[in-house]
Amino acid sequence: MLQSYHHHPSSYRDPSGFIFEKGGVLYRQVNKIFKEDFDHFINSGCYEALVKKGFLIPHETTGENLTGTAEYYKTLKPETVSFISYACEWSFDMLKDAALLTLQLLKEAVGFGLILKDATPYNIQWHRGKLIFIDSLSFEKYNEQEPWIAYRQFCESFLSPLLLMHYSKQPLQQMQLAYPEGIPLAVTKSLLPRRSRFSLHTYLHIHLHARVSTKSNTNSSQQNKFSKQKLLNLVSSLETLINKLKLPAQKSTWSEYYDEASQRNDYLEQKKQLIQQWTGSLTTIKTAADLGANDGVFSKLLAEQNIFTVATDFDPLCINNLYAEIKKNNLQYLQPLVIDLSNPSPAIGVNNTERLSFISRTKVDLAMALAVIHHLAIGKNIPLEKIASLFNQVGGYLIIEFIPKDDEKIQFMLKSKEDIYTHYTEENFESAFAKHFTIQNKQKVGSSGRTLYLMKRNA
Amino acid sequence: MMRYLLYIDPGSGSYLVQVIAAAVLGIAFFFKNIKLYIKSFFFRSPKKPKDNPPA
Repeated sequence: MLQSYHHHPSSYRDPSGFIFEKGGVLYRQVNKIFKEDFDHFINSGCYEALVKKGFLIPHETTGENLTGTAEYYKTLKPETVSFISYACEWSFDMLKDAALLTLQLLKEAVGFGLILKDATPYNIQWHRGKLIFIDSLSFEKYNEQEPWIAYRQFCESFLSPLLLMHYSKQPLQQMQLAYPEGIPLAVTKSLLPRRSRFSLHTYLHIHLHARVSTKSNTNSSQQNKFSKQKLLNLVSSLETLINKLKLPAQKSTWSEYYDEASQRNDYLEQKKQLIQQWTGSLTTIKTAADLGANDGVFSKLLAEQNIFTVATDFDPLCINNLYAEIKKNNLQYLQPLVIDLSNPSPAIGVNNTERLSFISRTKVDLAMALAVIHHLAIGKNIPLEKIASLFNQVGGYLIIEFIPKDDEKIQFMLKSKEDIYTHYTEENFESAFAKHFTIQNKQKVGSSGRTLYLMKRNA
Repeated sequence: MMRYLLYIDPGSGSYLVQVIAAAVLGIAFFFKNIKLYIKSFFFRSPKKPKDNPPA
């Protein structure tokens, strides 16, 4: 009798196949209904070319029907992605590169007589230091006389958030959380400034698109024949537009934190040494999450030791800078994400199981929270017990820095608000964390008055 | 044509807008290419044009 399998909760839309988990391994089943398209995808050399260029995740084909379903055609075992993330957690340039990757894939596929049948950021994940396409069932046979079926989805999922961020000069990652299927064209159109109409490409893909979409379906596909050249013109226009979009070159609250912090005596250097010493002695650590990573100075220390590290910060500019550095230096063990620890990404989608919450996705060997606790406890009024519980859910080990109340940073924060934080003491911090962790090491960092702790989660 | 595996909604009017956009872009790229050609004729620089869209 076949062992049972777990159908992935987010893999239900496309009848071509689905993702499932069996024996702790993630597989993708190709259904009979998609046989012809999938065979063409493989036999045309498209799959091989895309994998070779690093655009598509490689897979192995197993000749076994692991689900026992009648629809079975093939079972694929894709290479494992270390950490699943969503577009609402990406910085501007990450989303921009994901959009350009989608268009690049479309162009490559067309050369093999195939086309992308969907265009969503959920098909793109972080793998070995870069964004990669993970859905090998997104390629179907291309009928040159038909327009691109996923055009509207592309405009809503990629173009809309990028344009809104570009024109408003605001990080609007949260909007993608509100509209997980893409920001509707009518919403984007109404939020964009009037001047955006004067860009030919923005006018065509958003303003005109939204206006025509509100009219009843004209069944135009039957009346107007499309062509490959027209499709390539459309893709070229989208690429030209996306390449021009950028974040304003403004400094964020924290983007210069370490430049300034490094000037404080030997603080930064000692902190680095302590972390290297502690992580070097813990050989069991393979994965880590640096929560409040800023520009990723300390995440990089972990990544250098081949520890796969998710570096998160609530400041999208810091994460954008880190992404640029990862791209430039090809850092394979680092994944940047925009996460607000006081409001991490929730579970969303059908039954709230389709996309998991940040905390339920983040189960790592080591959590690191450096110069973060005061932002949560004093900046956000979160009790120490709740903060301890947060880190307890994330990491087996914890490296955490306690910032005393007389620290200049806290004093600066307290200038604009009343000091109601009588509970914020080192003793209370230790007792709150003792409920979940055992302190294994504790060191003062230089002359800063700050203390670095190494803790281990209680069994 | 009835599409067997059409599982996402292309959106009403999305096909029509692609037809219109492609027509407009065809003209725009045609003139852009002429402009680039004339430019390259008069100013023979070693630099390649940034975007060379299909005509």
